[in-house]
Amino acid sequence: MSIRQIALVCLLTVLVLPAAACGDDASDEPFKIGVMESLTGPGETYGTVSSQAKQLAVDEINAAGGIDGRMIELIVQDSKCSAQDAITAYNKLTDVDGVKIILGTSCSGAMLGAAPLAEADGVVLFSGLATNPDIAEAGDYIFRTSMSDAQLGIDTGNVLWADGIRTLATITEATDYAEGVRRSSVAQFESLGGQVVGEERYPSDITDFRTQLTKLINANPDALHIAAQAEFSGGTIVKQARELGYDGPIYGEVVVIGATALEVAGEAATGVKAITADLDPANQKAQEVLNSFRETYNYVTLPWYLGSAYDDVYITAECLKQTGDDQDADGFRDCLYEITWSGAIGDNFSFDEKGEVVGLSNVVVEVLPASQRTEDNNGYKVLGGAPTQ
Amino acid sequence: MSVNPSEAASLLRSVREPGAFARLARGNLELWVNLVVITWAVVFAIWQGTGFAITLGTVFAIWAILAVSLNLVVGFTGLLSVGHIGFFGIGAYTVAILTSNAQYEQLRTEAIPTFGWPFFAALPVGIVLAGLTAIAVGTVFNRFRDDIFVLVSFGFTVICFNVFLNSRGLTRGAFGIHEIAKPEIGGWSFGSEVAFLILALVFLAIVVLISWFIVSSSFGRVLTAIREDERATEVFGYQVTHYKLAVWVISAMMAAAAGGLFASWTTFIDPNSFILLESILLVSIVILGGLATIWGSILGTMVFVLLEEGMRFLPFLPDEYVGQARQVILGVLLVLLMLFRPQGLLGRYKL
Repeated sequence: MSIRQIALVCLLTVLVLPAAACGDDASDEPFKIGVMESLTGPGETYGTVSSQAKQLAVDEINAAGGIDGRMIELIVQDSKCSAQDAITAYNKLTDVDGVKIILGTSCSGAMLGAAPLAEADGVVLFSGLATNPDIAEAGDYIFRTSMSDAQLGIDTGNVLWADGIRTLATITEATDYAEGVRRSSVAQFESLGGQVVGEERYPSDITDFRTQLTKLINANPDALHIAAQAEFSGGTIVKQARELGYDGPIYGEVVVIGATALEVAGEAATGVKAITADLDPANQKAQEVLNSFRETYNYVTLPWYLGSAYDDVYITAECLKQTGDDQDADGFRDCLYEITWSGAIGDNFSFDEKGEVVGLSNVVVEVLPASQRTEDNNGYKVLGGAPTQ
Repeated sequence: MSVNPSEAASLLRSVREPGAFARLARGNLELWVNLVVITWAVVFAIWQGTGFAITLGTVFAIWAILAVSLNLVVGFTGLLSVGHIGFFGIGAYTVAILTSNAQYEQLRTEAIPTFGWPFFAALPVGIVLAGLTAIAVGTVFNRFRDDIFVLVSFGFTVICFNVFLNSRGLTRGAFGIHEIAKPEIGGWSFGSEVAFLILALVFLAIVVLISWFIVSSSFGRVLTAIREDERATEVFGYQVTHYKLAVWVISAMMAAAAGGLFASWTTFIDPNSFILLESILLVSIVILGGLATIWGSILGTMVFVLLEEGMRFLPFLPDEYVGQARQVILGVLLVLLMLFRPQGLLGRYKL
């Protein structure tokens, strides 16, 4: 009998406690903004940084007196990396919390799951992280400050060609992000006249790439292109390629120059070039954001995405100031279409008719020798903007 | 149903006579479980407002179809399969490929042919395809039993996932398929959330009816005999392999129906929805509810959905920990349940 009673009490507690917590009054209510990020699962790093950066921005705004005296309140939901969880999180936010503006998600798969619902309900979905090219067509209410993988691929193709690479070998993780980058990079590279001499793919859960790498190195390419999703595998590939005696140039994206990837690869990563969105070291705002993030949470990772999430909140605050109503999704949407913003991730960027960010550009970075890597330079130096042709 | 006829009769009598209910309830754990879960579900739905409850209802219906159909194989026949999500995926992908209208050509990503079929034409194709796959793999799987069977069904899930991930010309690989059509029949569309919930519940009802019919027939009794002692059943002259294959195929087809519903409901699928973890989750639901009871699987799914989604409302945790906390609490509750009730909420057999 006693275990039964304990179980009953536990279940009832889970039920009743939240009900007791919902009891706020109407006067001077805060603006309610939904947030959906991958707080658990494969996209956890991205989702956590992103939601922390958003909370940081909100705390700053609230400490400075809010928007015309009204505070902002974030309601954070875990959308994992899956369409199903994004849909339940979305419905929780819109039906239970009555939110009309949602910042998120971290994963493109989750974004594509929730986007049709948001489009049908007239709810704004605004992401700082999702990069799948398909999102461009997702609808009128769908915005992002992250650049599409298609753009990244075009830039990568151009950089390869400009560096004198004529034959290329690619190794790609089988995920939507890595596949998208590989596909558009190769398309651009081939349209310029380049030739792909080797193509390998690997599933997310393997750690030994020597077989694939040996095949690729034997094809004798001018350069090796790594499109990875997980930093660990990105770093391991760099390390194993060097161990197998490959000494040609290696190209990649943000993943292979991440903190974990550099730690795994160690000295082998020196000289690896990456085409990525990065915060401009000369941008005052970006440095301020990174510093206050480090002060609050004692670490910094994925600086660009951190900045992007942070900027999203300030853009949201500006638009809320104009509309003055967190239930007015149409007004908010129109505001986003018209806004031109300068923040941590760049100056004077805006949104095109598909809700895609324009005015931002990728840069080329090169990894420094292990002895010169510090927390401030993140282990690499910025060589300059990606060439347009 | 876990409540047998004589219990049902005394339950009815207790409506007129309150004392009888007290006698019935005393020491009757199963009755309490039923009461608590159903009350919990109803209170949860009312308290949250209808919108979110409809979403949860749909998640529940889809997973309940999966759990009930898997229970036919795991609970009634005693074949512990972690390959069920593969059939779920086959149904989902068939419906997705046949009904998607997306114009991929404009994008710099993988393009696949578009068919633009209606949902109700695509679903039977998915179900038949899953059935054929089940016949093919089932013929091989019939040679294995017990632990080895678990391993080969594990292999099947991994193979399915890799086929979805790597058949880029058909499934778009990791990009996933979107703009999957909502069910529509004779001008009547199931596009709205409520209509879709009703459709999913109708499917669940059909699956439960078929399952109930199976387990209460002589066919079902042979399945139970196979679970208890396969050799002995064989000695009595039953073609054990035929029975096992039949229930395997039926269960796979039900899973494919759930998959079709799932694809149409989310309108976007990618291979990540069909990973091994989902399969193990599904087996946990079946064990949580109780082996060899149809109502147990339904109740188990209900508890699972309520726990998983109910914890979105934990108020005493800061937002950044809620995600992790949900998983931890869910894990702990499952461990506790298995410690105190290894046969599951309503089960009569242990694994």
